[in-house]
Amino acid sequence: MLEISIFTILATFMLGGSIAMITNKQTLLSAFGFLVAMIGLAGMFALLESRFLAIAQIMVSVGAIVVLSMLTILTINAKEENLPLEPNKYKWMIFASLLVLPITALMYKSMASAYASFATMETINVKVVGKLLFSEWVLPFEIVSILLLTAMVGAIVIARKDEIPTEAKKS
Amino acid sequence: MTPDMFFLLSSVLFSIGLVGLVARKNLFVMYMSIELMLSSVNLLLATFSKVLGDASGSVIALLMIAVIAAEAALFLALIIHMYRSSRTLNSDHFDKLAEGK
Repeated sequence: MLEISIFTILATFMLGGSIAMITNKQTLLSAFGFLVAMIGLAGMFALLESRFLAIAQIMVSVGAIVVLSMLTILTINAKEENLPLEPNKYKWMIFASLLVLPITALMYKSMASAYASFATMETINVKVVGKLLFSEWVLPFEIVSILLLTAMVGAIVIARKDEIPTEAKKS
Repeated sequence: MTPDMFFLLSSVLFSIGLVGLVARKNLFVMYMSIELMLSSVNLLLATFSKVLGDASGSVIALLMIAVIAAEAALFLALIIHMYRSSRTLNSDHFDKLAEGK
């Protein structure tokens, strides 16, 4: 019973945050909605007894991604006239919701009532995750490390201001 | 607490992300909608990890978090570059590839 009430509170937070995210005109308020949704997701992971995932979610998604997004929003500091004019925003949203609704029903239908209950298992702690990560999942782990390096270099190259002086331009 | 509740929440979150991606023109909101869709898949992976009693789902979700971080870094750099070049956050403005239609 306690679990159900925690789930309800967290689900309300997540849904409210994500709906606030897609409806707000001010970009920073959207980022706050996203923050609420991410914290709710971390709570969901803790409810599902994957402790390490909850901590990783707090550290990476909330601590890094959302903060980085907010910093970017504040750095850009877009004025009212630089934001896109969206007079028919809610109309488009209702239209898109009607289009997406069958897909949602299909997704839920394909998964629902296939599993009646959760398996009884121990809490997924760091030990279990670490052992799996470095035995079965070691190749994806290495690929992800290369991906992160590539993304870092790519982000630096894309966001740099000045052009690189090449040999052709010098001559 | 049944798995169905988590399945429903994950489907609804994915759909909200999809609606935000389709209906809005603000680049930041589109970026956060994509993040929300990826995160809802993460929730589904964690749920299946608990349903099947297998910790591999959590490990995949952990790797997904790393992929989300990489995507965030690239997307934010791209937004900064686009804003610097044309001073707008309107996604309709960036349609150079559609000019030859």
